[in-house]
Amino acid sequence: MPNLTTIISVAGASFAASFVEAVEALTIVLAVGLARGWRPALSGAAAAIVALALIVAVLGPLMSVVPIHALQFVVGVLLLLFGQRWLRKAILRAVGVIALHDEDAAFARETRGLTEAQQRRSREFDWIAGVTAFKAVLVEGIEVVFIVIAVGAARGLLVFASAGALAACVAVAAVGAAIHRPLARVPENALKFAVGVMLSAFGLFWTGESLGVGWPGGDAAILAFIALFLAVALALVALLKPRAALLA
Amino acid sequence: MIGAVIKQLIGLFVDDELLAATVLCVVALVSALALSGLAPAWLAGLMLALALPAALVASVLRSARRGTRGD
Repeated sequence: MPNLTTIISVAGASFAASFVEAVEALTIVLAVGLARGWRPALSGAAAAIVALALIVAVLGPLMSVVPIHALQFVVGVLLLLFGQRWLRKAILRAVGVIALHDEDAAFARETRGLTEAQQRRSREFDWIAGVTAFKAVLVEGIEVVFIVIAVGAARGLLVFASAGALAACVAVAAVGAAIHRPLARVPENALKFAVGVMLSAFGLFWTGESLGVGWPGGDAAILAFIALFLAVALALVALLKPRAALLA
Repeated sequence: MIGAVIKQLIGLFVDDELLAATVLCVVALVSALALSGLAPAWLAGLMLALALPAALVASVLRSARRGTRGD
């Protein structure tokens, strides 16, 4: 039975990562809804959720067929690629080498694009808008599915990972439905920084475990790896931020 | 649309190609050493714990150098 630290780490990583993805999907769905109407926006989003449910229904049973070490290895390597990519970008954004992701700008860009596209008659279903919402929810949703599988499957904690992701999606959808604006105040880069650290740590842990490494302290080694990646990332920010500011 | 979705999915894992290649090479090398018995498990773990953060450091420093030069 996994300990509480592992369960909290898995659910927390899944929640934070899914929150970021849900915010990005919400921005597009809101842009579609406000620019072209709620019918295509919600139909597209609902169709994507059905497609995601089918993907989960097909992939879910396969998880129990794959040998645990092979699953840990594949998931570990994918987590390393995914986590290090997020962490690298979050560090570069934190030091100002690349621009911060701006939900307001993304919302404005998407709204402008949809408004400029040819308007259809109101009775006709707006396929461009529907497909835009479908694609956004499908792509971000696949990321959420991957995150849930990646952080939960290798330890048999899919239920906790799914609960974290579901909580994040429900929270974002509820706030979005209430305010009808993109969640621009969410500290997206800080979340991506934290998620990048956690996913890289999980990736390192599971890749090692799949190769037969008995990490000192068992599951608690994940916390040590989180501390390791966090220290490295913060050191890079501290090193590069003054230089970037000097050259700005 | 399918092509765009697939491209975005690949983009989930690969942004800096050199970082992705380095991570894969490190994992492949350590796996080969561990599975062939040339390196004990503790050494394989140590190599992963040192090489993977080092790959991240190298990628960030390279990107920062390029970025601050305005390339």
